[in-house]
Amino acid sequence: MRGLRLSPGMAPYVLLSPFLLLFAVFGLFPLLFSLYLAFQVWEPTDGLAAMHFVGLDNFRFALGDAWFWKSLRNTVWMALASGIPQHAVAIPLACFLQAAFRQRWRDLMIGAFFLPYITSTVAIAIMFSSLFSTDFGLVNLGLATLHGLPGLSWLTPDHPIDWLGRPENIKPAISLIVFWRYVGFNMVLYLAALQTIPADLYEAAAMDGASHLQQFRHITLPSLRPMIYFAVTLSVIGGLQLFEEPFILTGGRGGSDQAGMSTAIYLYRMAFDFNDFGAASAMSWLLFFMVAGLTWLTNRALRPQGPAQ
Amino acid sequence: MGDTTVSRLGAYAMVAAGGLIMLAPFYFMFVFATHARTDIFRLPPPLLFGHDLPGNVAILISRMPFWRNLGWSLYVALFSTVLTLLFCSMGGYAFARFEFRFKQSLFALVMGTLLVPSFMNMIPTFMIMDALGWIDQPRALYLPGAASAFGIFLMRQFVATAVPKDLIEAARMDGCSELGIYFRIVLPLLKPALGTLALITFIASWNNFIGPLIVMRSPEMYTLPLALRSLQSPVGTEWGALMAGSAIATLPLLVLFVLSSRQLISGLTTGAVK
Amino acid sequence: MAARRRDPARGAVLQVLAGGLVFVLGWGAMVAEARDTLVVAAFPAVDAIVQEALPAWHARHPDVDIKVVSRQFADHHTAMTTALSTASYLPDLMALEVGYVGRFARGHGLENLAAPPYAAMALADRFVPYAFHQGMGPEGNLAALPSDIGPGTLLYRNDLLSKAGVAPAELTRSWESYIAAGTRIKARTGSYLMANARDIKDILIRTDLAAGEGLYFDRDSRVLVQSPRFERAFELARQVRSGKLDARVSSWSNDWSEGFRRGTIATQMSGAWLAGHLANWLAPETRGLWRAAPLPGGAAVAFGGTFFAIPRGISASHKVLAWELVQMLTLDRDLQLQAFRMHDAFPALLAAQQDPFFDAPLPFLGGQPARQLWRQLALRVSAVEVHKQDAFAEEVINTELDKVLDQGKDIRVALADAATLLQGRARR
Repeated sequence: MRGLRLSPGMAPYVLLSPFLLLFAVFGLFPLLFSLYLAFQVWEPTDGLAAMHFVGLDNFRFALGDAWFWKSLRNTVWMALASGIPQHAVAIPLACFLQAAFRQRWRDLMIGAFFLPYITSTVAIAIMFSSLFSTDFGLVNLGLATLHGLPGLSWLTPDHPIDWLGRPENIKPAISLIVFWRYVGFNMVLYLAALQTIPADLYEAAAMDGASHLQQFRHITLPSLRPMIYFAVTLSVIGGLQLFEEPFILTGGRGGSDQAGMSTAIYLYRMAFDFNDFGAASAMSWLLFFMVAGLTWLTNRALRPQGPAQ
Repeated sequence: MGDTTVSRLGAYAMVAAGGLIMLAPFYFMFVFATHARTDIFRLPPPLLFGHDLPGNVAILISRMPFWRNLGWSLYVALFSTVLTLLFCSMGGYAFARFEFRFKQSLFALVMGTLLVPSFMNMIPTFMIMDALGWIDQPRALYLPGAASAFGIFLMRQFVATAVPKDLIEAARMDGCSELGIYFRIVLPLLKPALGTLALITFIASWNNFIGPLIVMRSPEMYTLPLALRSLQSPVGTEWGALMAGSAIATLPLLVLFVLSSRQLISGLTTGAVK
Repeated sequence: MAARRRDPARGAVLQVLAGGLVFVLGWGAMVAEARDTLVVAAFPAVDAIVQEALPAWHARHPDVDIKVVSRQFADHHTAMTTALSTASYLPDLMALEVGYVGRFARGHGLENLAAPPYAAMALADRFVPYAFHQGMGPEGNLAALPSDIGPGTLLYRNDLLSKAGVAPAELTRSWESYIAAGTRIKARTGSYLMANARDIKDILIRTDLAAGEGLYFDRDSRVLVQSPRFERAFELARQVRSGKLDARVSSWSNDWSEGFRRGTIATQMSGAWLAGHLANWLAPETRGLWRAAPLPGGAAVAFGGTFFAIPRGISASHKVLAWELVQMLTLDRDLQLQAFRMHDAFPALLAAQQDPFFDAPLPFLGGQPARQLWRQLALRVSAVEVHKQDAFAEEVINTELDKVLDQGKDIRVALADAATLLQGRARR
């Protein structure tokens, strides 16, 4: 056995070997394939032999394509509108649940907030198209009720809102659903991170007379920093690849005036609806570089430094 | 004091109301499962449980090998979870607590795999699975994802906060082997994060439909999401059966969640991390 | 049956032998001995239609099993694209929806049924003409045979018409009279004329096409959207919207079916099969209140339809069997009628349309024998040239129409903007 002992120098490679092996087989080839495809035109139903090299044509087309840029603007809009509130709500919520709830009730609340994450997307699609229905939906019904109340009428619209039909309403509706779906997920991440903050830190601070808010600022937030970095990175990546929610809510088309068409949906449509795999690959590489750039920025802004690292 | 009590009550009320809103669609999924498709399409939709669950389940079972599909879903999700926990905790630990050549570029590579939209990989993935002879094989579903970039990332973050360097150094001084350190010191410390990762991996595998869409060619090998989607068409979807199937498919996740949220809490109460 | 079952190894050997035999003997050889399986890839409800044809198949081929692989509609076509692109794990027979047939026919992944041994051009006069021609590719190849079709019809609420004092003929005489009738229906009953103004545009851009014209492009990829055909389509849609005559809901949404149930939508233009869906689940409680009529102004268009195609990359022996199955599914009068009865799949086979079933009164349509009407309407539809960018063009046109309808954009400007976008893609 002694002879098989790993040196600390070799250990990381052994520990990483399963990842490296699987990545080499299942990760690298698809990446290279789509890179290759980005320089081809291809009618896929003709088989693999039907590719023709076109140089940078696909990239030139992608950069000049109005819809590609439109989809990018949509994506950034929805990523921000759903992403920022997710964390702004999830962090205080996690702290509140941690501090103010007994175990049984906390379990229950975690469950309630986490359920959207495990609810099937099909059910979500039907539910929300029913909730957002213009003439009979509960959302508009609620707004109409509010409108009837004195003092609130100036705040609420006086006619039913066409949520999923009018371009200006699609993005907010989708962002709301994305927020609804992932806020609990982020909350669980932050709760998991809160478990690792030693209780004596708070005890010591309380003895020094620090208020709850001061404790939050000076103990909780710094300790959560690695998890914030992690969760925000996931939100950036997930937000910029936003696909499922707008896809099901707009019937896979992106909605009126493509207002809900994220870049991922556009890529999907370019490949499988518009039959242009070459341009879709070129766009996915452009998207790749943009997400990579933004992830790098997140990394710069939020990366855990000092004692944590 | 009175002021804080009021604001506290307000906060409780808000959180509770938020919880209820979060629960609503989940509740409706079960309600819809007990209605025929004619009633589901009514507006406003039915708010209370109906009597059509047996009918919906009957349609479901007549249209697909439902229980078999459920079995495969469980099988794939379990394997996927176990392998992911193992490989990702190993990888995350390596990235967080070792210095080695190419560390930065390797990590960039890991993150890079997170960034590619998965449907762009459909055709090349199909080609690989075909070349390996893995078409219609469950391993084609759980192996590729087992070294998930997400998991490695999560584990790296968690190791950075929860596994002190001194502890590892001390163990090394005591003559503990590198793998011994990983299994006896690092893994136990990672328990809360492993619970989180297990939950997320299981759910991701459970809901994955692009993977099975690429590699599964026989309906009896489908996992649930793909099987349930096959009920859908632009016209004439069997909504009742679809909702019943979705509701049944959510039950295992619910059980898993109840179990693992306990684990999160126990991570707190035992104070596993000092 | 049980005695005929063989152990798998021997079965495989026999399969290879049988395959070789067929290869040697050429086409027309019967595969009798080996236990073989044909894979049919389909989507709902075509999967069920194939399943229900199995007894007839097994009567002819007790030794050949058929496995139906069903996927969600879009998933199915995505999976077929993937399978054709790599030419592996191909099904022996694939169902294709009409919107995909043209695209798949442009590639070379499907057998050309016009060539020997199929020589299926000889079958042309057995099908509804437009449906048969829709299966043809640009090089004169025949990629698929039609199984069911969707002749366009106008379904209307007879009770609402009587209440508004509108005669059914006013709905169908011309598009102008249709809209005028809608104004009266709205004024007297409060109900919308139609679900969405877009429906009018969808039909009008499909009528009065010149020879060699596609919907959006001609054969030489010239963009056709700046034409009277599109201007009129947009103009009439705008009249409907500005007269508040449409409910502004999209098809297959909850609002849509609820509108039918509550009688807030007075007419719907669609494929004939919609009557079956309304009766079965969309609005069963409105039984007897509906009637069917031709589309306004004598327009003849089709909504949907299913085809069967054989991939090029499968074995020769399976091609023989798959062809036999295609012929069964498309040329067998009894099976076609059975699919019509059980799934509202309107037969593309002319012989099936001569059955007395077509003369039967439909209770949902107040006893009207509407199938006779639909049978006639189907004959007037003509096939449309398909262009690679049709799906994109449809999206662009819908976007510009929304701008015209909701933001008051000038129609000529909107069509010019669409043309600019389409020109950038026409030759990609």
